[in-house]
Amino acid sequence: MLVLASMLLTACGGKTATPVATEPPATEAPTEQPVEQVTITIWHQWSGDYLKAITNVFQEYMYNHPGVTIDLSKPEDVTAALAVAIPAGEGPDIIGWANDQIGTNALNGNIVPLDDYGVDMAFLESTFEPAAVAGVVWQGKIWALPESQEAITLVYNKAVASEADFPTDPLNFEDLLAKAQAFYEAKDIPLFCNQGFPGGDAYHVAPLYFGFGVPSYVDDQGNVFVNTPEAIAAGQWLVNVKPYLLPEMSHEICKTALIEGKVAAWWTGPWAIADLENAGIDYGFVAMGRPFVGIKTLMLTKNAVDRGHADIALDVMKWYTSYEMQKYVTLANKTIPANTQALNDPEVQALATIAGFGKNANLGIPMANTPFANAQWGPVGDATGAIWNGSQTPEEALAAAQTAIETAIAGMK
Amino acid sequence: MAQWKGWRKALTVLAFIGPTLLGVLIFNIYPIIFNTYISFTNRNRYHPNPDCSVPLTGILEPTCWKVFEKNRPTGLAEPYRLQDPIYANYADLLGKFFTPPALLSFGKILLCFVPLIVAAQLNKAFGKHVERPVPTWVVTLGGIVAAVALGYSLRFDQAINVIAGSGDFFVVTFRSLLYVLLCIPLFFIVGLALALLLNVPDLPGRTFFRVILIVPWAASTVAIMMSLVWKFFFQDQGLINSVLELLGKTGQAWLQDPKWAWFAIVLTNVWYSYPFFMVTILGALQSIPAELYEAAEVDGASWWQRLFNITLPLLRPAVIPVIVLSSITTFQMFGTVWAITGGGPTRGAGAPGATELVMIYAYKQVFQTSAYGRMGAFAVIMFVFLFGATLYSLRISRITKGAYE
Repeated sequence: MLVLASMLLTACGGKTATPVATEPPATEAPTEQPVEQVTITIWHQWSGDYLKAITNVFQEYMYNHPGVTIDLSKPEDVTAALAVAIPAGEGPDIIGWANDQIGTNALNGNIVPLDDYGVDMAFLESTFEPAAVAGVVWQGKIWALPESQEAITLVYNKAVASEADFPTDPLNFEDLLAKAQAFYEAKDIPLFCNQGFPGGDAYHVAPLYFGFGVPSYVDDQGNVFVNTPEAIAAGQWLVNVKPYLLPEMSHEICKTALIEGKVAAWWTGPWAIADLENAGIDYGFVAMGRPFVGIKTLMLTKNAVDRGHADIALDVMKWYTSYEMQKYVTLANKTIPANTQALNDPEVQALATIAGFGKNANLGIPMANTPFANAQWGPVGDATGAIWNGSQTPEEALAAAQTAIETAIAGMK
Repeated sequence: MAQWKGWRKALTVLAFIGPTLLGVLIFNIYPIIFNTYISFTNRNRYHPNPDCSVPLTGILEPTCWKVFEKNRPTGLAEPYRLQDPIYANYADLLGKFFTPPALLSFGKILLCFVPLIVAAQLNKAFGKHVERPVPTWVVTLGGIVAAVALGYSLRFDQAINVIAGSGDFFVVTFRSLLYVLLCIPLFFIVGLALALLLNVPDLPGRTFFRVILIVPWAASTVAIMMSLVWKFFFQDQGLINSVLELLGKTGQAWLQDPKWAWFAIVLTNVWYSYPFFMVTILGALQSIPAELYEAAEVDGASWWQRLFNITLPLLRPAVIPVIVLSSITTFQMFGTVWAITGGGPTRGAGAPGATELVMIYAYKQVFQTSAYGRMGAFAVIMFVFLFGATLYSLRISRITKGAYE
């Protein structure tokens, strides 16, 4: 009855969970005594088929905790929504977001350090992978619990191309250019699709810049490395490869093109795998360049504290990032868990994706969580767009981006 | 019965208009005052929170009020404070305009419009004569020719570039004005042509066409969705390129080319807006007395002569308010353009994209860059500008009042 009630409640929230083949592992029996009703709101970035397994985890939590209703929602523009909702006291209890958002949200006061609620470094280090731990600690405080690690890599459709169509050295971009040209001339379709190349997306274009030797766009001290010879060489490479790629690329265009066999590979992350599996694509992985390694995290908001829900919200966060739940989510979604025990689980280790994304993640650059990191996205995205559409040369575009990021960082002082 | 005079009357009147007055104060005046205050501060993504001990901040900032005290954000960031100098945001936006080369260029641009004003004044003066010494069109044409010649000799384009170089503000403002100048005549011409067509009494299927042609206007209730359909036409994998492919031709990624992106946003806006003009003109056409046309016909006037000497002058009172209204909404255009181009194609970091109009620029600066203080200043300047335009439009509406009386 209670399960039904909680399901109805979630259904009202517009999030109907489609049952998947495997249910999350059953844990403790539901408590019988009536409890005070608490709604925990989570604003997240999960989408597509990826969300289904995650929803099941929270359904399971609600089943075990009859007093708790978990409401999942995905606002269009989280930054703008938080700016209004948190001061009004109408924000979420938990934010599911990448670790680069930690600095800015800590500055705003949107999120609170978890140290005050009993999470300490000992727990963190014994539960999660070192890279994930580093990603959620900023200025000596713990700001989030890590969910998964993610990096993008080339995911190719085995029906369209084979491993021989791609470079063996992940940092040999000249080879990638030659192979993209050869593939395009032989089959009249592009070798790969990258939504970051036409601009506006500094994250997806990162493997290119970092692969050419840019250390990071911005470092923790606020130094900017966008107008460097390496970045300009990457920009020039972008100009050279353009004729062999689709002129317009986005997440949707790349996904559709890969599934329909109109492009051989898609430069994407673990979040895309569930969609590809559903489409019945036989896929393989090729490491290329140095991607950003981001940590997907759950952050606790100030509103949860104000409402007196901090402990319950933290319990939900710990539940979701626990070994059993992360193993379940990982096996369903083929992601890379941040939970050490889940990552080392033999069933998880057997997943092709762990090796596939892991190889590229090992080459990657960790995504910084300082507030400076926020200043990089717009300018690098715009500069890449200007190089792509030819309105600026790589030199002009990257010099302008350098100035724009430096100006933004100067606004902090 | 109380006496109906003095303070009692005042109090009663106040009691009646009080609620509305309060609404106006809360929803109109307060945001304007608050925004103006923010425009003098360095509020941005690194300084998002108030310092409630600063007197004005304590009064104006909602999170400093007692009711919202519980949720007051307390981040690690330093609170925002007044800029030093206090007008720094305004100087940042407009500063380079007040330099000799920019002012000189502005002077040149203004000078180019002088012949048009002179022509209009001459026409007005000649209109008072019983017999016009020179026909209207000659004076107007002379004005235009003089303006173009002056513009050419003073290097109008260079002057525009100089001003555009003095800040994003001028780039996006000029671009929005250009958008208005491109769109409004097209609205009018398309609207007029279709209205004249639909006004033909023996047109077969007249009602059918009247309904069909208003469809875009009805569709504007789902403007964003229809804009996405238009976007699909122009996409690389879109309708136009598919059709071209059938014809054996190769298209291009239209929206990545600034000129074609402009074409797309103008075309879409014309599609949305011509029905408004068409309906207004159609209504006005039916109120023009038929005797005028009969008399003209008797005098042997041609179709064009009737159009220019009877129809257009009599449409003026109805059309001018529509033009003014549309100009203001077109100047502030956001949704349609945002959905189709997102302000792009980009022209690089730190420069507004090729179709980044005023409102798109403001949106991106506020919601993507969190430059609250700077955009507060931007909004104040725009407010003054649009307030002036609205006052002027009210004056124009007064001129047309009683045109049919």
